[in-house]
Amino acid sequence: MNINKQKLIISSAYAAIITIVFVVVITIWAELSVPLKTWLANFSGHHWTSKSIFSALLYTVVTIILYWLPQKEVDDYLARALNFLLAFTALGTIIITLFFTGHHFKIF
Amino acid sequence: MDIVDILSSKPVLIGLHLGFAIVGIDAFLWLLGKLKDDGGSQKSMMVTAAVGVVAFIASWFAGGYYYVVYYGVLVKPVIKSGVAPWVHNIVMETKEHIFLFVIPLAMTVFFITLLTREEIEQLKLKRVTLWLAGAVAMLGLLIGAMGFMISAAARWGAIN
Repeated sequence: MNINKQKLIISSAYAAIITIVFVVVITIWAELSVPLKTWLANFSGHHWTSKSIFSALLYTVVTIILYWLPQKEVDDYLARALNFLLAFTALGTIIITLFFTGHHFKIF
Repeated sequence: MDIVDILSSKPVLIGLHLGFAIVGIDAFLWLLGKLKDDGGSQKSMMVTAAVGVVAFIASWFAGGYYYVVYYGVLVKPVIKSGVAPWVHNIVMETKEHIFLFVIPLAMTVFFITLLTREEIEQLKLKRVTLWLAGAVAMLGLLIGAMGFMISAAARWGAIN
């Protein structure tokens, strides 16, 4: 079995999880912190463009770094990494939705 | 008016954003069917996933350009002063951020299609791959429904 393909999948899965966590954290933090949102807006001209650039870079760089790091017994971790990715996607979507709903109703 | 002016005009950008997203959603739904029924070759699964990833990236650029250049200046004020200002605060804010999950998720599914069917079975990845391909399509559909709500809120905001 081709170990390099498995390493690529597991690296991409963990990089995607880190990217989702980054998007959730930076989005909530920027909504609650005017200086951070201003900095993001000044970086590229728009806060969303900055988040897009950083998330694309983060995913690419983390995938490459994890791929080149030595990984043992990739088989055992592959399904678990993909299940984590599925869970983090669902959680990230729910957290972002609940945050903006709560923010609109001034709960936080 | 040259071709660049036409491509960067508001209705064309929205059409490209939605059109590419539909291609991306369809590609991942198609991949889901291939995975579920063991249909098609490994190469066809790879091509289907690649088409989906490229389409979502194209949708990201077209939608992103429209959002950054036109939405905040022209559309957002109409929604905020219209019958449903919450559509910007909740739906648009959610949509623009969960969109950023789609490409890394779709890329991961693409990398899984580099494995043969036998390898996917042997590694017990079929079930989770079905779920991931379905999640990409579902996120795309959810974002599409949100886009429709945003357009409707802007229309009703302008009428009222």
